[in-house]
Amino acid sequence: MNRGDVETDRRRRFGVLCDSLRPDLLRFAFWLGRDRALAEDVVQEAMLRAWKSYDALSDESKAKSWLLTIVRREFARSFERKRLELADLDVLVAAEAPVLAAEDDEELAAMRAALFRLGDEYREPLVLQVLMGYSTNEIATMMGLQQGAVLTRLFRARAKLRQELGLVPGPAP
Amino acid sequence: MKLDCLDFRRQVGAEPFIEGPEYEAHRSECPACARFQDELRAMDGLIARALAVEPARLAEPAPARRPMSAAPGRRRLFAIAASIVVGLSVGLVLLVSAPRASLAREVIDHVAHEPGAMAGTAPVAAGVLSGVLDPEGVRLRPGVGEVSFAARCVHDGHVVPHLVVRVPEGMVTVLLLRHREVDEPTQVSDQGFEGVVLPAPRGSIAVVGQGIANLDGVAQKVFEAVDWGV
Repeated sequence: MNRGDVETDRRRRFGVLCDSLRPDLLRFAFWLGRDRALAEDVVQEAMLRAWKSYDALSDESKAKSWLLTIVRREFARSFERKRLELADLDVLVAAEAPVLAAEDDEELAAMRAALFRLGDEYREPLVLQVLMGYSTNEIATMMGLQQGAVLTRLFRARAKLRQELGLVPGPAP
Repeated sequence: MKLDCLDFRRQVGAEPFIEGPEYEAHRSECPACARFQDELRAMDGLIARALAVEPARLAEPAPARRPMSAAPGRRRLFAIAASIVVGLSVGLVLLVSAPRASLAREVIDHVAHEPGAMAGTAPVAAGVLSGVLDPEGVRLRPGVGEVSFAARCVHDGHVVPHLVVRVPEGMVTVLLLRHREVDEPTQVSDQGFEGVVLPAPRGSIAVVGQGIANLDGVAQKVFEAVDWGV
């Protein structure tokens, strides 16, 4: 394979990654920042960075976690650069109402609103576990935490959601 | 290790689909904790549906509340790069569509690495089953067989429903692979298992068994028992 073919193949493979993983990256970024415009920007910047360091990805089966990590870092950078203000939760919920809406499914809409109100430290590991399918050990690596801390956050996340949704806890043992 | 109620609830509160003999033992001894876990599994189904916002909705114009103001030049550069990449990838999707036999082998690998899934004897609770299937927007019609295992597993980097169904011919494992499309039915035999992958309205469905007579027919029955919601 000549140099031109190698470059074409590289672009082709990166294109496949972008096409297949972009929806998940957008969802992840949206639930991190709770803001569509921010999610779109973060994912675009992250893909640009990913393209520049694509050669560092030695195992394409790990592309998803690699890209999620880049999105995560880009999201953190966006806060550093712009010193984003903490928005009022009600304002956030109202602004993203079109995304949170679930026609004819009040339960679903209530859960989305509850997830929006969940603290960042609880929402992120929950998204990585439930939506992305990562184990607690993998989440710990991605978030730079001990596995025990991830377990605690996940436990608390679900407890807070149950509380927020008014779900009656099971009978005490 | 024997679990008490506190340990059990702490653990399943963080990982509702965790499995193991100690968890099964505690579930059989403590109906309240078993119900607690079932409720959490059902809630996880709702969480998964809630989080899986349609990308089209995310792409709708959003209020520019907190613009990140990436430099327009970079944005344009990325757009150009992306269009080149996407253009190149059109043909590539056809080229790199995973080989069907390879998919069937991956499915068998998945089943072979989760022997515990076949160990269940009791039917799973309806709430657990719906917690596993609801996020996919599908339902299993009654009558196909008793479901003795239902979980959302990671396969090929995606979370997929994994069921074990007791059909008259024996036990079969069913994976709903919304993310993988196939053009035609494929069969494979590997590691003592036989598998069939069928095209489905959303992706594909894999049915795997051991020593099942007429696995094709069984797979077709399972396929027809799934209400794909389309």
